[in-house]
Amino acid sequence: MPGTPGAAALDPRTKLVLLLLANLMLFLHAGAATQAIMTALFLLPLVAAGRRRMATRFAALYTVLAVAAMLDPESLGAPWLHVIPALAVGLGMMLPCLITGAYAVSTTTASAFVCAMRRMRVPESVVVPCVVVIRFFPTIAGDYRRIRETMALRGLVSGRFAALRHPMRMLEHVLVPLLMNAAFVAQDLSVAALTKGLGRSGVHTSRTTIRMRAVDWLFMLACAAPLALDTAGVIG
Amino acid sequence: MSDSTAPRTTPENPPVASRGTRLQVPELISIGVFSALYFVMVCVATLVSTLFTGGFGSIFLPAIAALISGPVYMLSVARVGRFGGITVMGMVIGLFLFVSGHFILSFAASVVFPVAADLIARAGAYRGKAPLLVSYVVFSYGLTGPILPLWFMRDAYVASLEARGKDAAYIDGVFANINMGTFAASMTAILVCAAVGGLFGMRLMRKHLAKAGLA
Repeated sequence: MPGTPGAAALDPRTKLVLLLLANLMLFLHAGAATQAIMTALFLLPLVAAGRRRMATRFAALYTVLAVAAMLDPESLGAPWLHVIPALAVGLGMMLPCLITGAYAVSTTTASAFVCAMRRMRVPESVVVPCVVVIRFFPTIAGDYRRIRETMALRGLVSGRFAALRHPMRMLEHVLVPLLMNAAFVAQDLSVAALTKGLGRSGVHTSRTTIRMRAVDWLFMLACAAPLALDTAGVIG
Repeated sequence: MSDSTAPRTTPENPPVASRGTRLQVPELISIGVFSALYFVMVCVATLVSTLFTGGFGSIFLPAIAALISGPVYMLSVARVGRFGGITVMGMVIGLFLFVSGHFILSFAASVVFPVAADLIARAGAYRGKAPLLVSYVVFSYGLTGPILPLWFMRDAYVASLEARGKDAAYIDGVFANINMGTFAASMTAILVCAAVGGLFGMRLMRKHLAKAGLA
């Protein structure tokens, strides 16, 4: 998880609030105007964090969906075309969640995430597995590549569409080594983590510090405002 | 696989239900490792489901995930084997689903069903075949969260049609074929796929992992 926590980065807790707001909007059936304003607001932090290309893609996708949602199949004389605008409306609703999710995942470092969870008093029995999940993803990717290389070497389920022709065999050949290794890695990680004092009770210190700043509060307010106005019926 | 040059000893089985009731750090780390694998399985399932069913991809996501992640679940239960393990695994999955932009109710579903699954597995002392299979089926329903927004989508489309001045009969006609039948099909698919996936997982455990001394 690369990311440069600098002046442009919001606090992880703010990102969580943004995710909640995006979900709330899905719940509340916000009107089209509100949805467009919120989507634009959610794209701002992505731009500020230097993810311009990602922001541009999301904006383009949202525009396409907004246009597709306006399609009127009746006037075209093809009722089955309802699939397209229905899909566009649905995806348009999901998109704010996906944008805030992509922002949270791509700009939060593992240590900032852990720090935020501890500050929010998440029990240690949830924090520890979460850290391990983040730490373990690259290992899975590496293992998978090596397993595929070995399988190709032995001529097992190789070729372009082999995985589609023998899905269950493919699954077995990939999953068994992955699981075996997972059991070993879990033990190695436990030894390493206990050596570093993860098992000790009491408050753990962290080199990463997180802080809610004025910009965090302002941005939360800015994002909550259109939703509140929509619920009050001012805009729609 | 990470460094296969050094011969490593088999990690010994964790003693089941000793040392009090709290989960210890090694167990939490095991849960994390298996949650990561399960999450990868969910991602694979999303991909497959989207390829097969197009935009409404997530409707069969839980079923496909249930079909392929049986081995992960079975090994995880065998390695942790203590009350709380399955629950924490579900919560971690739910948290990652939420953070990566899934609907927040997916978090609720991934707490409720895993707790039930944990209780069922405990009834068989985390060893009994039948309770384990049932617990896996129940656990698989924890993934129904991501498909819930489909219902909101339907409502939203109805609202958008109403806003454009279409009448109610017309709207009913549009949704004649998206109804409870789809929902029932999706739920039944989870049941069947979870049973098959769970049995597949147990078979893999017997065939490979038990021999290696891992389970």
